[in-house]
Amino acid sequence: MSCSTVDLKAYAVGEMTQREKAAVEDHVRGCQGCREELERLNLTRTALLALEQEEIPQRISFVSDRVFEPRWWQTIWRSGPIMGFASAALLAGAIVVHGFSARPASGSGVDTAQIEQRVEGQVSARLDAAITKAVSDSRAQQAAEFARVLNATKQRYETERQADLATIRQAADYYQKQFGRLLVASNEGAGQ
Amino acid sequence: MIFREVEDRDLIAKARRGHVEAYNVLVSRWEKRVFNYLLRLVGHREDALDLSQDVFLKAYQNLTKLDDTAKFAPWLFRIAHNEAYSLLRKNRPDGELAVEPQTGDASAGMFPMELTLAVRGALGRLSADQREAVLLKVYQGFKFEEMAEILSCPVSTVKSRLYTALDLLKQTLAPVNTGGTE
Repeated sequence: MSCSTVDLKAYAVGEMTQREKAAVEDHVRGCQGCREELERLNLTRTALLALEQEEIPQRISFVSDRVFEPRWWQTIWRSGPIMGFASAALLAGAIVVHGFSARPASGSGVDTAQIEQRVEGQVSARLDAAITKAVSDSRAQQAAEFARVLNATKQRYETERQADLATIRQAADYYQKQFGRLLVASNEGAGQ
Repeated sequence: MIFREVEDRDLIAKARRGHVEAYNVLVSRWEKRVFNYLLRLVGHREDALDLSQDVFLKAYQNLTKLDDTAKFAPWLFRIAHNEAYSLLRKNRPDGELAVEPQTGDASAGMFPMELTLAVRGALGRLSADQREAVLLKVYQGFKFEEMAEILSCPVSTVKSRLYTALDLLKQTLAPVNTGGTE
């Protein structure tokens, strides 16, 4: 290191790395001119630092003033968590709005016709199914009614038949008894 | 120093949320340095005090514009620099500082008061740019890069101003002894 490359002023004001300082110190040890120059710089710096810092005559202090207090939107703006939440809410809102607004925009004339055709087809199919079901229900209801009437008729017929049979049996018993009585009476008459 | 920086960052964050008391703590840490810097730039205690109050008020109002809170000190001194030069331009259109040169030569063997006068005189003979470079480097301890930010000029310009100032100060405060090598 030569005298021309040695930055003694940077050394004197502390603007050097440890490695650079070591190089300068190494050079200064063997160079009287640079050593004397460095001593003068150090003396100058020491003299400058002899000028003491003055105390401030009046302490500076601020009071809470609404003029300088942050507005509500400044408080929100400076708050990381609130801003993060607001951003997420805004993004979610934007996605929802986009979802609704994009639907009509994406439909062309052909698409609408197809959708209408498809809807008509679905409605027609559902209508057919409903009619079929109604007819089927009606038939079933009629069959059930017919069966109920038939059963009732059969039951009534059976009841009447049983009643007739009972009457016939009673009549037969009566006539049989009358016949027996007449037979006894005739036998008694023939014996006298 | 690391803890101090962390605490400053916390205070700045609180002040940004409207905590005036946190900002007052921050002010109490920096007011003496800012006041002395301004005092040596403008040369009048009343002006320096008024400027200091303006600097801290502007800093509070613009605290949200500070991108990197670790660079609070250069940012604050940048405001102070602008405020001082705004006042100087108002008072003296040529922008030269108001510090009057005072007599004084070699510091060797001086009494403290004489040394103080000699230093003030030597600083007063520097140009405004040279004096400010000395104030920021020797008295405030800023790095060349930070000084370049404060003064809005390249690092090479900062070094040039400081080195020239040191040469001039050296002639007054550390003159070559008889039979010296210079």
